[in-house]
Amino acid sequence: MSLAYDLRVIRAVAVNDIRGSLVDRTFTILSILTPINFLFLMILFVLSGGQAPTAVVLQDNGPYAREFVAAMERSQSFIIQETTAARAQDLLRQGRIVAIVTVPANFDADVQSGTPIDLPVVVNNLNVDFTNDIRRAVPLSITSFYGEEFPNRVVVKAAETDLQPRDTNYIQYLSVSILVVGLMLGGLLQAGSNAAREHERGTIKELLLSPAARWAIETGKVVGAAVLNLISAAIVLAVVTLVLGVRPLSFSEMVGFSLLLIAMFVAFGTLIGTLARNRRTVIPLSMGTALPLFFMSGAFGPANWGSPVLAAIARASPVYYGIAVFQFAFHGFTTTPSSVVANTLILVGFVIAAILLSAFVLRHASVAH
Amino acid sequence: MTNAESSAAVEIQSLTKRFGNFIAIDNLSLRVDVGEIFGLLGPNGSGKTTTLNIVSGLSKPSSGTVRVLGYDVTRDTRKVRGALGVVPQETALYEELSAWDNLVFHAELYDVPRSGRDARIAAMLDLVQLSDRRNGRVSAFSGGMRRRLALARALLHDPALLYLDEPTLGVDVQSRRAIWDYILDQKHRGKTVLITTNYLEEASVLCDRLAIIDHGRLVALDTPATLKRRYGDVVLDLSTDPPPTPALLQQLAAIAWVTGVQVNGSALRLTIAGDDHAVGHVVNFVTQNAELRTINQREPNLDEVFLSLTGRALRD
Repeated sequence: MSLAYDLRVIRAVAVNDIRGSLVDRTFTILSILTPINFLFLMILFVLSGGQAPTAVVLQDNGPYAREFVAAMERSQSFIIQETTAARAQDLLRQGRIVAIVTVPANFDADVQSGTPIDLPVVVNNLNVDFTNDIRRAVPLSITSFYGEEFPNRVVVKAAETDLQPRDTNYIQYLSVSILVVGLMLGGLLQAGSNAAREHERGTIKELLLSPAARWAIETGKVVGAAVLNLISAAIVLAVVTLVLGVRPLSFSEMVGFSLLLIAMFVAFGTLIGTLARNRRTVIPLSMGTALPLFFMSGAFGPANWGSPVLAAIARASPVYYGIAVFQFAFHGFTTTPSSVVANTLILVGFVIAAILLSAFVLRHASVAH
Repeated sequence: MTNAESSAAVEIQSLTKRFGNFIAIDNLSLRVDVGEIFGLLGPNGSGKTTTLNIVSGLSKPSSGTVRVLGYDVTRDTRKVRGALGVVPQETALYEELSAWDNLVFHAELYDVPRSGRDARIAAMLDLVQLSDRRNGRVSAFSGGMRRRLALARALLHDPALLYLDEPTLGVDVQSRRAIWDYILDQKHRGKTVLITTNYLEEASVLCDRLAIIDHGRLVALDTPATLKRRYGDVVLDLSTDPPPTPALLQQLAAIAWVTGVQVNGSALRLTIAGDDHAVGHVVNFVTQNAELRTINQREPNLDEVFLSLTGRALRD
């Protein structure tokens, strides 16, 4: 029982799984489409939730009024639509905007003379999240406007020192996290289906009866699913980089970490499939595993910025480290206290642990008595 | 692969297997010699498949020892598996692959050397008469063809011990005969064959020795002929006019050679332990008391043996 034999088993199992999946297209297509579908879903969520659609009614067209609108735009909190008062009311009634900000007549003159100005803001406060965005962003725009136009009047200023060489906006950050969940869903579904199919069809007995090492069989399954998962991974990566325009700082790191994450998620998918033994169980189990892990592992911001309990739970999740290394590849920062090297090693550990655990489950898999 | 020092292909000693409180195998001991066809007979749930799962290393014994070709199945599991060719009950072929690709995959799993591998696969397909379907997808194969392909797969790595779980379950009569021929051919090649079956005719035709298992216990172990003789040498099926009276039945039962009397209307079944002289004596006695309409003399079958040993039919 040499290493060369184990390697031949790995290759044979991988090739066998790939061939089987290419013939059995239903689950393969599902494994490819589900992560892409999820990616688009999250993109829609990002696009719809990132900024508040707001109508601006300009009753003064002077340079200060214009500069104030520019300050609103710089706040990155509004999707601004300049319109008339009547049209703005219509849009608000139709539920197409969150708020109306009116720049009153004599705005420029009052600014120049230092006369207090009441800036009318009408908010459809049916969603407190959007309402708070407006409540925070309008005063921020006013401060920004004064800081720009009358620097001497604003005596308290934030002296900001940036830790990162560049800003990362919400979409840029979240897109990378979504990329990870795309790889996760693809990996879990593809590998889970491959492993469960052996049990459904009874062919697991052929594998279990052979003298091949369990770890070699499971590794072969991981390799086979990983190759198939590359298809959905390539599509998800293409959407993020080409459609959303979120480019990695290091292409090679992106590719390397993608391969590592694919290996990890297919290893866990193989474990799920080996345990579930049924493809119809694998799908809800994969979804049910992927989504909570995604949301609690720093998808929207570093997990350690959240509650200490959730952060502690997140640190036990492979997705936490997956998001961290991907954010590093794309944006150059780390979202975890541990270094990129440490995160990479932890991910490698997860891959090995998942394969060994799958092999253990397979070793103790009972067959028909 | 085999341990040359051992003459037993399989040696089971005091084997017990429990699933929680349920005892699937209860202190079972038996030995299968190298070169014989050995049958395990028992109704569903009797423990025969569990026994063979342990023999093939798929399941661990709760207690007792099992040695296959001299190897301990719990310690040298991979060596045991390498020496074993298995045709499981659920054929377990990759349906989306061709017959040829199924065998190639099996060859890789069992480390069949690449040199000569294709020739070996071709020979196995030829043996089971599937050469013309080598590139056909298994999903299009009939039950009999699948069973034959599974047999070819089990033989591919030239195992010393072949284990077939219900080898002809669900196959047509023609394929059944063909599979029997392949199994007998393996014996002639010096292989040991272990089979489980519910078909008594199959066990009778193929097996050198039979172990009858019920509720996880060994009920009987012998050659099919000896087992049949335990039940009786001859079974006489008669019909009389008028139907046999209770007095006649009592008198028949009192005859020393008669070991069993069954009646159903005018049909009378007598089991006789003895030679032609005994049979003649019994027939004469019947004709003196009633008019004999039909008579049929035959050997007892294993169904009757099984029923007499376990008190229930094989397919209960």
